[in-house]
Amino acid sequence: MSLRTMRAVMALAGATLLTTALAACGGSGDGGSGGGGKTLRVFIGANTQYPTQQQAWEKSIGDQFKTQTGATIQWETFASGSEELTKIQTSVVSGTGPDVYAIGTTFTPTAYATKAFVTLGDAEWQKIGGKDKFIQSSLGISGPDPQHQIGIPWVARPFVMIYNTELLKAAGITKPATTWDELTQQAKQLTKPGQYGLAVAYKDNFDPWKFIWGMATQAGDPIVDGKTARITDPAVKKAYQTYFGWVTTDKVVDPAAVGWTNPQALAAFAKGKTGYFALTSTTAANTLDASAVKGKWAFTLLPTVPPGATSRPAGGVEAASILSGDNLVVADYSKNKDLALQYVKLVTDGPAQLDMYKIFGQLPQNAASAQSLTSDPKLAPIVEAQNKSVSTPFTGAWADIQLALTNTVVQSIPDLAGGSVPDAKLDSLLAAAQKTAQSSLDRAK
Amino acid sequence: MIDDRPRGAPGEPAVPAAGGDEPAGRRRGVSEQHRPLWLLAPGGLLMTVVIGIPLLLAVYIALVDLDQYTLRRWLQAPFIGVQNFVEAFQSGLLHSIWISVSFAVIATAATAPVGIAAAIVTQNAYRGRAWVRAAFLIPYVLPSFVVASVWRTMLQPDGIVNALLAKMGVTGGLWLSGPKAYWTLILVEIWAAWPFVYLMALAGLQSVDNEVHEAAAIDGASWWPKLRRVILPHLRGPVLLACLLGTLNHINNFTLPYVLFGVPAPDNVNVMPMMVYVTSFQSLRFGLSAAMAIVSLLLIAIPLFVYLRALRLDVHEEGGRR
Repeated sequence: MSLRTMRAVMALAGATLLTTALAACGGSGDGGSGGGGKTLRVFIGANTQYPTQQQAWEKSIGDQFKTQTGATIQWETFASGSEELTKIQTSVVSGTGPDVYAIGTTFTPTAYATKAFVTLGDAEWQKIGGKDKFIQSSLGISGPDPQHQIGIPWVARPFVMIYNTELLKAAGITKPATTWDELTQQAKQLTKPGQYGLAVAYKDNFDPWKFIWGMATQAGDPIVDGKTARITDPAVKKAYQTYFGWVTTDKVVDPAAVGWTNPQALAAFAKGKTGYFALTSTTAANTLDASAVKGKWAFTLLPTVPPGATSRPAGGVEAASILSGDNLVVADYSKNKDLALQYVKLVTDGPAQLDMYKIFGQLPQNAASAQSLTSDPKLAPIVEAQNKSVSTPFTGAWADIQLALTNTVVQSIPDLAGGSVPDAKLDSLLAAAQKTAQSSLDRAK
Repeated sequence: MIDDRPRGAPGEPAVPAAGGDEPAGRRRGVSEQHRPLWLLAPGGLLMTVVIGIPLLLAVYIALVDLDQYTLRRWLQAPFIGVQNFVEAFQSGLLHSIWISVSFAVIATAATAPVGIAAAIVTQNAYRGRAWVRAAFLIPYVLPSFVVASVWRTMLQPDGIVNALLAKMGVTGGLWLSGPKAYWTLILVEIWAAWPFVYLMALAGLQSVDNEVHEAAAIDGASWWPKLRRVILPHLRGPVLLACLLGTLNHINNFTLPYVLFGVPAPDNVNVMPMMVYVTSFQSLRFGLSAAMAIVSLLLIAIPLFVYLRALRLDVHEEGGRR
């Protein structure tokens, strides 16, 4: 069978399957419903923390959109990353599905790689109110360069630290740490029987790589340099040694933390016996206000000076957080692109952005809305972290790279529990991660 | 003596060869050549759509370089022949297959005696038997996600299991990472899966005729010879079938390791479904993951086919002798 014939057979088979699947799903087509108006399909993450509020928000936005455009919004939600990815895959392959997607910032490079989303030119940016209305740094993960952007910043969730104000005061610490060495030192001061200086989620599926990326970037190693992975560079190794050292040599972390995910580490901090919780966002506030540390905690920036240094070296970047949050993308196959851009404008304009903060605690990406929040002293560090957030490398290989960085920690956990990660073992794991990352970069098209 | 052998016993073919003489009185009109096979068409169509086409697509995808860069125009994805298969073997697939198969075999070997014992315990009527039977089914009716979540919580370094062990002077250590992770996976799988063998064995026990029990009693057989020589042989078919299905379920279990260990998983519990999932949903290498899935399917299908042929689990009296 020739290649062409085989492809034709596959096309027929695929078409049959998709037709059957789509018929079975009873999916609505583009437009056509809503009292003669069109229907815009919007795909967003289900907010499990505020499900009732999300329904009310959807209704409110839907009503406003109907008033403005006469069109109806059909909301579709996803509960997990794999569900989101599956939806995107099937939509991209079949050329039908939601018109607008809300995707995580670190997933934007992958979405860009599919070439299935609208690249925003001047006309598109104009329709959503112009680039200037957004916090400029937030556009850093919209595309590989300003001419090829697909992601419109919607909400931000910059990463910060939380510290226990009473424990720091009792330990004679007047100012939270601004360098990683200072953090380690303060954590040692805070550690005593029944109390730990730092809560870290070593077993989390997403936390570990953010520490490593942050420390390495501050030292001048962005992990990816063009098409080259730099995981075996000394800055990355130093980052891992520091991160591991907290539990192995410094002993400022509860040994049980080798089994913790992020919510478990937050719960440990919330008991009031830990000085710092090293990686969290505004979404932790509700948990803390309902815990033993109510009124005794505050946000602060993650350190921005790399381990082993008192100031950033030449080439080091003041990366307080990854650019974290959600971007909106418009499907290239959409027959409602103008409507989609009107929706994007609605939810990125000032009032809707402030609503997102008031209802869900999600920070605005609209510059004016974000500025209006700086008057709240509790939020000031968060807004500062947002302004000092830096984009992770914009490459379709990033998903593989962050997985490889996390895998290095996962495979080290038995050694962490044993009190030491041998140098040779770390070198071997870093070499494996480098190989994976480079292979993925080499495949990037 | 009355010959009460069923039709089809040795030396007495029940169904004559096509075109041969038919037993007197047998209805004529439906021969092997003229069976209304078209009645199978709806089922056949459904199987084609649900199984055949996806399988064909999987084979095709395994032969092309389909990833996030080529997904949109998947029909134009470069044809790379067996490169995905070569890469699958180079990227630790055999290691994952070994983990999956060994884990599944151990889990099956452990669940079989537990399930049979539980079935025997609940065979004879006694006060409270219904409650015992209901309790035995609890692990089976709980969703895999719930089972894994509960065990994950209990097996934390500062969890209840380690706390209990500490009271007995034993250091529990890590259960979800390191060398013990493999045995944790097996332990939790056994806990969740033994009721399946129990159900099958119970069904087998209940199909044993009363006459068999009476005959054993008349012959004066005590409980052990009766169990070993009379009851267990009757359970052979259902239990072997349970073992076969159970092993396949263990091999294909994704939820349990995924929730217990997360992604990326420790190397020693990186079972096949996890590897395929990560390759597909994290690395977005759809071609490579399809190749892995096909290799896995073949590796499982070959011994499975041989095993099925050897066991002749088709217990239909006529079918089994064809």
